[in-house]
Order: sequence, then structure tokens, then C-alpha cells
Amino acid sequence: MAEVVLGIETSCDETSAAVLVGEPGRPELASLVILSQDVHKVFGGVVPELASRAHLAALPAVVDRALAEAGVGWGAVEAVAVTQGPGLVGALLVGVVYAKALAYARDRDLIGVHHMEGHLFAPAVEDSELAPPLVALLVSGGHTLLLDVPAWGRYRLLGQTRDDAAGEAFDKIAMLLGLGYPGGPAIERLARQGDPARFTFPRPMRDDGFDFSFSGLKTAVLHVARASEDLERDRPHLARAFQDAVLDVLVAKLERAVRLTGYRTAVLGGGVACNRTLAALAAARLTGLARVVVASPRLNADNAAMIARAGWFRLGRGERSDWTLDARADLPLPGLEPAAPQVPVPPSPPAP
Amino acid sequence: MEGLILAIDTATDIASAAAGSPREVRSVVAAKGARRHAAQIITLVDRALAAAGARARDLAALVVADGPGSFTGLRIGWAAAKGLAHERGIGISAVPSLMAAALGAAELIGSPVAACFDALRGQIYGAVYGFQPDKVDCLVAPALLTVAELVRIAPVRPRVAVGDGALAHAEEVGRWTGAPPVGLDALRPLAASLLLLAARAGAARELPDPLAAEPVYGRPAEAQVKWEARHGRPLPDPSRPIG
Repeated sequence: MAEVVLGIETSCDETSAAVLVGEPGRPELASLVILSQDVHKVFGGVVPELASRAHLAALPAVVDRALAEAGVGWGAVEAVAVTQGPGLVGALLVGVVYAKALAYARDRDLIGVHHMEGHLFAPAVEDSELAPPLVALLVSGGHTLLLDVPAWGRYRLLGQTRDDAAGEAFDKIAMLLGLGYPGGPAIERLARQGDPARFTFPRPMRDDGFDFSFSGLKTAVLHVARASEDLERDRPHLARAFQDAVLDVLVAKLERAVRLTGYRTAVLGGGVACNRTLAALAAARLTGLARVVVASPRLNADNAAMIARAGWFRLGRGERSDWTLDARADLPLPGLEPAAPQVPVPPSPPAP
Repeated sequence: MEGLILAIDTATDIASAAAGSPREVRSVVAAKGARRHAAQIITLVDRALAAAGARARDLAALVVADGPGSFTGLRIGWAAAKGLAHERGIGISAVPSLMAAALGAAELIGSPVAACFDALRGQIYGAVYGFQPDKVDCLVAPALLTVAELVRIAPVRPRVAVGDGALAHAEEVGRWTGAPPVGLDALRPLAASLLLLAARAGAARELPDPLAAEPVYGRPAEAQVKWEARHGRPLPDPSRPIG
């Protein structure tokens, strides 16, 4: 088992490298460097070709900095963990091929990591005691996943989005409200000034199974915004009502998943988990039911520390990727088992 | 350049790797199919090194195909070269893919050679080169243009045209050169040409900071072109400096 793992993440618009150092069961974060690509802001979303070009230009310097901050030389790095997918395939390819070359150059172990498994492991970077069984709600710009995690590496899919991911909905509404990209932090900031009673939006599928749907909610916000006589005045209220609706749905399903499984731990992960209102709402609703675990914001954004941590787990199980490792935009989550039969669970009580 | 050099080309549909020196190609291996370049590139490197009786730790330098070429293909070769060079602490030089193709055709038919890669929409990435034992004369530098434009600006009539762009405009280039165009399939894999060109004057692009360098893509990203046309100014710098 490697004791120094270099992680590399290039699935979207963050170029990131991290170093984990430690005993087999207890990796410690030695460094994490995240380079955000600002170029996409002027486009209101990520431009894949520009993201790929920027990764190629920046990645070696990002890795150098991660190694320097960790105080680790090339000779000490025993394995390389890299995001294999899902994500933007051109962006992923840069990280995967570069990582393969780094590993090949000195016969290091190589492991391709699923990006969402990385998000699941993010809190474990800071909390070495974190252990399944747990329920995980992983919400990002590309995914909304509700997982039953009986053990690390074993996942049962409880629910996922049928259309837009939660983070995507935040980005689109932010664009509608003229808040720029990325939308999550801007909406949360603006929502603090909003009156929760001014508008109310539907809670799509809130009490219906574990799947999510945010497309209709997005349309509802669009209609109200278009009908607004003073959008500038209404923007904070729209942001508040939209955020309240999304978070209510997310937390209602998380709570029901906790009640269904009986697990005492719930993990929030992914970029949307940077939303402090979400974390606070989840903690409040799950009081007495489960401990809510959320990583710090830089570990919930796309980052290489979570990839190194998930890679550390897989390497520890003896898994290795070979030199034919390829990027896959639609990489399936490893260890996904058929969902357990769902016992009907009473709907969650209304939000306090 | 002294010591073992590894050449990597993934700019076209045929990926290749070669090991040796500018005087001697000790090994060259290739695989066809652009969609498999990322999966195959390290295996190709490993096979090329093994056939040369070497390992990665023996490398003294790298040469990689510069654009123009497939954007993704170029990045695969460059990411592999950067990873190897970064880890081993060695340098990278870049030779245009068009020049490598032209050298292959010159070895078969003679110099000068027009190299034409298909850039779609009726355009090609074109260049014209004359080859001498110790130097390369760049008669038309790589550019995005039509075959008619290349014919107009070329100072010489090439002996032959090579590449998928030449094949796509076979009649037009045939009239110009007086010879049927040659496809890349007919040539030795381009990595071998990269190796032979690495030390020739006028061939390699200097990369003062190879790890931060980018390939010559041949044209900007479509989104960038549209944005700059709409705003009348260059796109802001793509990345925020670290720290």
C-alpha cells in the first residue's frame, strides 16, 4: 500500500493536485492546490475546449506546487490517483494521460477514480473516523445522487435526478437573475436578503420516491421572473424562494433515506454542499436521527484531495489501473449494487 | 542533443512513438484510431522504449508533434510528454506535425513537399518545406487556408503533397504538384520523422518553459472566436495565477 499518493483532478474547470501522506488506514492531507479557470465566467458556463487547453497549460505547475507544499519529492510519490470520469471528456483526458505518464515514468501504481466517489470520500479527508454505514447526498453541477452506503466501495442508488442536477439548476437560475457563473454562491448570498414569504415555488417530487427533478422548478422561477414588474426588487426574494424549494426537496429526501436505512450518519457532498444553508437545514431536520457530515468548502468543490482519498481506498484494496486507462465522460460508479427494495416511508413533516 | 530521445505523435489519426537519436531511429511503433490514442499512448511509449532496449529512466529528451492537428489528439501527446518530462526532469521540443509528414513524403518522393491536413469546411492546414541533411527550409509556414491560397503563396512547386487534406483535394493538388497525393498511411509513422528532425536547424520550436507550454493548435477555440468577434477585444487570460 502506498504511503504517499498524488491526486489529480481535471474533470471540469478546476485544475487540482493534492498529496496524501500517512499510514495505510490513516491518510493525512499534506497539500491541496486548486486553480480555478476564470475564463469561463464571461461565457456564463464552462467552455470544454478552453477548459482542456487551460488544464494542459497549468497542470504541471499545480502538481509542482502540491508537491512543494507537501514537502515531498518525486521519489517519495508511490501512487497516482486521477479522476477518470464522469466529466468533460477532453478535460479528463489531459489529467488521465498526464497521470499515466507520471506513473509510468517511475513504475508507480496508478488508479482511476470516479469523480462522485471522490465527492463521497471528501469528508473522510478531514475526518478519519468517518465510516459507513451512511447515507450520502452528493449534489454538484452535473449530478444529484442519493446513495445508501453500507460500506466503503458498496453503493446502492436510492435516487438521482431525472433532468437537471441541483447545481445546474442553481447555475441556470443565477444566470436568469443576472448573477453570473458559478451560480450557487451568488444565489446563497442574495437569498440572505430575500423575504421567504414573498414567493413560494413548488417542491418537485418532494414526497414521491427518492428521485429528483428540478426542471419544472426552474421553469416556475422563469415564469415569475418574467412576470415581475420590478425584477431588481424581486431578485433577492426569487433567489430565496428558489433556494428554499431546492433545499427543502434535497433535505426531505435525505431525511427519508435516513429513516429508511436507520443509519446514524448522513454525508453531504459535492459543490452544492458548500451551501451553508443546506448544511444547516440538514443538521436541523436530522437532529436526533443522524449526524450530518459536511467537508469544508474547498473539499466540496472539485478538488484532487478527494480523488487522492478515494484512490487511497481503492489502492488499499489492491486495485490498480493499467496503462490503457482512458477517460470516460459517462463512467459508471464502481461498486453500485441494485437498489434494495424500498419500504414505504411516511412523508417528511413540513419544514419548520 | 545527446542520449536517448523519445518522440511522440498523436496529432493525426495514427498515434506513434519512436526512440533513438536524430541520427538513428532505433524503434518506432504506431496504432491507428484517434479515439484510442489516450488509451494507447503509454503502451506505445513502453513498446518503443522496450524495442530500443531502454526504460523511461534512460530518457534524455522528448520531442512531441506540434499542431496543427486534432485539438484533443495534440493534448494527448503533449500531456504524455509533459508527464514524462516533468517526472524525469528533461526537456521537450516541438516539431510541427505538417513538417514530420512532409519529411516522410520527401524520403519517398523528394523535396520540396506540401503537407496538407484536412481542417474541414473546405480548408486545410497547409505548409511547404524543403529538406536538407542538416536543415529544414520552411517555404510556407503552417497556416489555415484553402488549397488555392496555398498554391498562390507557395514560392516553389512541390514534388508532392501529403496528408488527408491533400487526399481530400486530390485533383487540385495533383494539378499543382504533377503527382498523386500521398496519404499518411503510406509513410513511416510520424514519430520517426520527429526524431530525425529534432536536431535539424529550422525544425524544432524552442520551449523555454516546456511544462507550461501549449501546442500550436492552428486555430483558437470556436467559443473564443465568437466571443472576440462580439466584443472586439481578446478573450481575458484563461487562468487565474496560482496563489
